Amino acid sequence: MGITHDVEQELEGLVATAHRIREAIESVIEGKGDAVRLTLTVLLAEGHLLIEDVPGVGKTMLAKALARSIDCPVRRVQFTPDLLPSDITGVSAFNQQSREFEFKPGPVFANIVVGDEINRASPKTQSALLECMEEHQVTVDGRTYHLDGPFMVIATQNPVEMEGTYPLPEAQRDRFTARIAMGYPEPAAELEMLDVHGASSPLDKLQPVATTAEVRALIDAVRAVYVSQAVKRYAVDLVTATRQSPDLRLGASPRATLHLVRAARAHAALAGRDYVIPDDLQDLAVPVLAHRLLPSMEAQGMRRRPEEVMADLLRRVPVPESREKGAGEAGPPR
Amino acid sequence: MRLPIAAGLATAAVSLTLYPLFHGGVWFWTGLGAIILVAAVSVLAARPGVPLWLAPPAQALVLSVYVTAVFAGEEAWAGLVPTKDSMIALAGLLGEGFTDIQRYAAPVPVNPGIALLTAGGVGLIAMLVDLLAVRLRRAALAGLPLLALFTVPAAVMSDPIGWPAFIIAALGYVGLLTADGRERVGQWGRAVLVRRARPAGPAGASGRSDTLPLSLAGKRIGFAAIALAIGIPALLPTLSPSPLFGFGVGSGTGGGGNTITIPNPIASLRGQLNQPDNATVLTYTNNDNVPRYMRMYSLDTFDGEQWTMSQPRGRPENRVALGPLPSPPGLSASIPVENVATSVRVSEDVEGLSFLPLPYPATSVQVEGDWRADESTLMVFSTRDTAGGQEYNVASQEPQPTFETLRDLPANPSEAVAERYLSIPDSLPRPIRATAATVVQGAESQYLQAVALQDWFTSEGGFTYSLQTQGNGVNALMEFLQNKTGYCEQFAAAMAVMARTLGIPARVAIGYTGGSLIEGSWQIRTHDLHAWPELYFEGAGWLRFEPTPAGGFGQATARVPDYSRAPISTDTPGGGATPSASAAPDTTAASQNPAMRDPRDPDAGLGFDPIVTDTGLPVPARIGIGLAVAALLALLPAAWRAATRRRRRHAWARVPASTGPGGPPGVPGGGAEDARAALDGERLGAAVEATWRELVDTLRDLGLGHDPSETPRALARRLTERHELDAETAAAVARIASAQERLRYARTPGRIGSLTGDMRRVEGTLRETVSRGRRLRATLLPSSTLLSLRAAGEKVLDGFDRLENLRIRRPGRAAPPEPPARRATDDRVLAGSRD
Repeated sequence: MGITHDVEQELEGLVATAHRIREAIESVIEGKGDAVRLTLTVLLAEGHLLIEDVPGVGKTMLAKALARSIDCPVRRVQFTPDLLPSDITGVSAFNQQSREFEFKPGPVFANIVVGDEINRASPKTQSALLECMEEHQVTVDGRTYHLDGPFMVIATQNPVEMEGTYPLPEAQRDRFTARIAMGYPEPAAELEMLDVHGASSPLDKLQPVATTAEVRALIDAVRAVYVSQAVKRYAVDLVTATRQSPDLRLGASPRATLHLVRAARAHAALAGRDYVIPDDLQDLAVPVLAHRLLPSMEAQGMRRRPEEVMADLLRRVPVPESREKGAGEAGPPR
Repeated sequence: MRLPIAAGLATAAVSLTLYPLFHGGVWFWTGLGAIILVAAVSVLAARPGVPLWLAPPAQALVLSVYVTAVFAGEEAWAGLVPTKDSMIALAGLLGEGFTDIQRYAAPVPVNPGIALLTAGGVGLIAMLVDLLAVRLRRAALAGLPLLALFTVPAAVMSDPIGWPAFIIAALGYVGLLTADGRERVGQWGRAVLVRRARPAGPAGASGRSDTLPLSLAGKRIGFAAIALAIGIPALLPTLSPSPLFGFGVGSGTGGGGNTITIPNPIASLRGQLNQPDNATVLTYTNNDNVPRYMRMYSLDTFDGEQWTMSQPRGRPENRVALGPLPSPPGLSASIPVENVATSVRVSEDVEGLSFLPLPYPATSVQVEGDWRADESTLMVFSTRDTAGGQEYNVASQEPQPTFETLRDLPANPSEAVAERYLSIPDSLPRPIRATAATVVQGAESQYLQAVALQDWFTSEGGFTYSLQTQGNGVNALMEFLQNKTGYCEQFAAAMAVMARTLGIPARVAIGYTGGSLIEGSWQIRTHDLHAWPELYFEGAGWLRFEPTPAGGFGQATARVPDYSRAPISTDTPGGGATPSASAAPDTTAASQNPAMRDPRDPDAGLGFDPIVTDTGLPVPARIGIGLAVAALLALLPAAWRAATRRRRRHAWARVPASTGPGGPPGVPGGGAEDARAALDGERLGAAVEATWRELVDTLRDLGLGHDPSETPRALARRLTERHELDAETAAAVARIASAQERLRYARTPGRIGSLTGDMRRVEGTLRETVSRGRRLRATLLPSSTLLSLRAAGEKVLDGFDRLENLRIRRPGRAAPPEPPARRATDDRVLAGSRD
């Protein structure tokens, strides 16, 4: 009974904090509630976010707004074709005074790293982010430096059709928990934006509404969210469906399953629930899975995008009916 | 690959229907061997590079080797290769087989000759089917040789083929058609699709070929057709037992039919009497060496044209093997009877006779086979066996009434007898009635009228016997009465009709006269075939009369019964068995009589048989019963649905109060024993689950649908939004969905109150949102029940498919197009996860 109570309290705190962050972000970006919510979800799921859209729809603004509303170190890297890996991870420089090499940490040593236009950098530089994102550590000259949590990479990229871009390879896309598209704002929201942004940048007025410690606590609370055996099975069913779909050349990886369930926990917690329901998975399946899928030749021929295929699969995979009592039931919910 | 096997299976299935022709099962296995060989050759010949024309000669060769090896192995070279000797041996066997088939009535014993004929015939049919279905790709045409095989038992056997055999045969043919269709569609299907479609989701993850849905549809149509072919004749009350499929003896409708096997006994009469070859039909001996008429048929219906027989009714309990026959109708215990024991041997040459020639009235018959007695007429018949070659013993009790007794009998036939045996069509010409009235003028009792009629026909009327009379029917009857020339048929029919006009129940019997005594036994020949009237007198039962002139210028062996002669004539010499002469044995018989008849029928003493009223239910009543049964059947899904709903509501009754409404929060394990809490939790879970299922089923019934990918929450949202539910109902739906959601997915379900009220409310509101017709359908024909029925049916069909795939799928050919692509994808997935 005590546990339940604690979880409830934690959840209440979590929902309140999350609400503050959301409000702060939405004061900067109008009419993008879904994108903001998903950003928070990824943050709480200890994942990384890929924002993909045409230039000028507020990708960077979203990333910066999130970074600004949390009182934590934020670094921003503008990816360009001549950016080197060391420009991200940091370099060992020779200190003339101490007569030894000294590590100068790169921009990746922060809690939130905003990688702007990540697909404009060379693949070599892109891959430098890989280790940091997955393992939360940086290795330079044989020495490994750990990154503090929370650690989140928010990368923005232009659609691959744009000029001067190197498309992210599948392996790297797989590292991102979710991909969202901003989309053009509604006419009303755009009108309001003109008023707000006309005079000065609202970003400057944004005050942090949460501390790093608070965010860490939130992440811990999310880890405690319960995932029943049935829901786990449903996640596996969904992922398996992508692997078997004739419309897809490449299905989702096991890492995708892991990301999906983690994100679902955060999603449930943000809704004030201490357990995951299939609806969470359904809401997240497209942003979490779609960017990892490759359409088959036929699907490409029929101009079916992976997002559509995924949505179609969601309609076809049945929701688990029974209450399953699995082995993982009694253990820690992770 | 698939087609030759399907062709072989079809032939084997149809050959199964030959079962009633043989004793034992050896014939089937030899036939099956031939089929397997033919199919095997066909499979081999289907390999690429083998010329198309090669298969039939190869099959013929293999078949001949098979037949040689099995039936003439000793004469053949190395036991296999046909030689001149083996050919001769086979030819000899064939001849034997043909003779045996001519000689024996089915079921025949399987001797080598017959087995050879069967195996060869089945093998030839298999070759023909293979040629048509596999070589020429005309699977539908292959039905013709199969049909030919199927008609063999139908033509040979008088009784119907069992419906299970028909189902098997039909399944075989349907399987052949399905295989053909699948092969056809499969060819262009594969060519069009570059990559095989695989259904998403783990439920249908098994690999399926493109033609499967089509073949499934084909199979379903086939099954449905067979089920209808079997079911509809059985269900429709107006169809009398169809010629091919019977459901037991005499279960069809009565009243309308003619006869069972002989289409019209009276029509065959003259033909038999005219035959130049006067063959012996049967011989009999009896204990008092007196010739007796042997009756086979009793024609009880006169439709204005001719005398016909209503469908005899033989219930299983009326099998003659089970005991004495029903007691003779109308014969009271006061009439003395003579016990007669007769042993009869019917010639083997008699074909298709399914009625036993018996002296009337028989009390017991000892005969082999499934012979049954018609309750009212005491005809003994079989739908399975024939009388040819039979030897049987009959006990009969011949009534020995005296002229005086009969003369004084009152004229009061029971209503049932009167209704059945007194009906005359209104179209009967008046002169016949008038003639009858004139003839019997002055006769005081019915019996005397009958005697007067008989005398008129035999002597006073001036009739002559001639076989050169044409036709029957009313006009023929009139002609007969005017020309006064005819043979037994006209005499019997005329007397019976005239008796009916006088109010005497009458019918026409067909059988044989007593025959002639040759070497100590009575011989009955074809020319003794005879028709005579039987008249009914309450108390004496049915009595035979003989209006046909006897002797050299008439029916040679016809005899006028003694009781129909006036007492004066009993003194004339030659009446050996007059009542007075046999008075002594009669009295003893009479004293034994009641005791003998009592066991079966305590009413026998009253003088009539109550069973005679059993003419079956009238047709409207049958239709009514059929409709009622159909209605009950149609209501079954509704009843099932109602029972399910009750059970689901009841599930809440088992949930303890602590977790129910008003109780403390139902978090289990507060202070009570964990086991009990766990049990309570289980019950609560079951109840919530039941409510959820009820909701889903209700949606299905009302046509509102429920997608398996729809979560409880999404369902509640959809219902609330689409049907604009009021706040309270929306809350009820939400409560149900939330309970189910927590139960399924949460760590602990938390407090859940009884949802019965919520469910009722939701159901009521939802019902109002749909049309009245839909509501009615939801009650009477609930889709949820039909869906679950369909799911069960599909499981069965899936089982069939799985069986078929097991049998036919060959790893070498069917699988290859798929794996490479699949493997590449898998590799990529693995690579992705390794990085």
